[in-house]
Amino acid sequence: MKIVGVAACTVGIAHTYIAQEKLENAAKKAGYDIHVETQGTIGIENKLTQEQIDAADVVILAVDVKISGRERFEGKKIVQVPTEVAVKSPNKLIQKVTEVVEAQ
Amino acid sequence: MEVKEILDANLIKSDMSVATKEEALNTLCQKLIDNGYISDVEGFKKDVYAREKEGKTGIGNFIAIPHGKSEHVDNIGVAIGINETEIPWESLDDRGVKGIILFAVGNDHEDANQHLKLLSLFARKLGNDEVVEELLKSTSPEEVIQAFS
Repeated sequence: MKIVGVAACTVGIAHTYIAQEKLENAAKKAGYDIHVETQGTIGIENKLTQEQIDAADVVILAVDVKISGRERFEGKKIVQVPTEVAVKSPNKLIQKVTEVVEAQ
Repeated sequence: MEVKEILDANLIKSDMSVATKEEALNTLCQKLIDNGYISDVEGFKKDVYAREKEGKTGIGNFIAIPHGKSEHVDNIGVAIGINETEIPWESLDDRGVKGIILFAVGNDHEDANQHLKLLSLFARKLGNDEVVEELLKSTSPEEVIQAFS
């Protein structure tokens, strides 16, 4: 499975990046391909390419704030959670995402 | 550019022995002001507590990441305390914390992009269970820094 995601928290200093790391590790553990863009104080990093978005089976938005470029994901399956969920239970989140994709 | 460049041994207390969140933050703020990272302890603490009100900063695994963007920060830095015992903290896993990592970031960061980049890479490492395990075992500032390299 291919996943793209965006992580963004309120202050944009800490939770954003912790969520990114946890999501990447959990997805890799499940054998999935994942790219996570971060939108923080420093700006957008690891920006998703159109190819990555097109190829993705699902989009994970681990966000506490309005993100920029949300329209890029129009028409795709989106699972949106607060960053807390990605930080607290990344493996459970990936499992849920798997169920969402397989349910189609 | 290495993540550990953002760390300063003078800001690390590896043998902290406090019982409350308030005491932990006081200890770490004192380190920040003693070493010239912040200009006003009370002002900075107010901004940190404002962030505490917005949501839990305990991220599980006995780690808390209180932080504030504050006008009272002169230099971007991270103060780290490793406490002997677990202290109560609002955490995602509803447990206490032993490792407290206090982020100090200024409001104006036009000249600070490189530091912010390092800080983001540092934060990322806190999402890694192995790094956290090493961190909590550390008994000296050098070991704390080593955990992130």
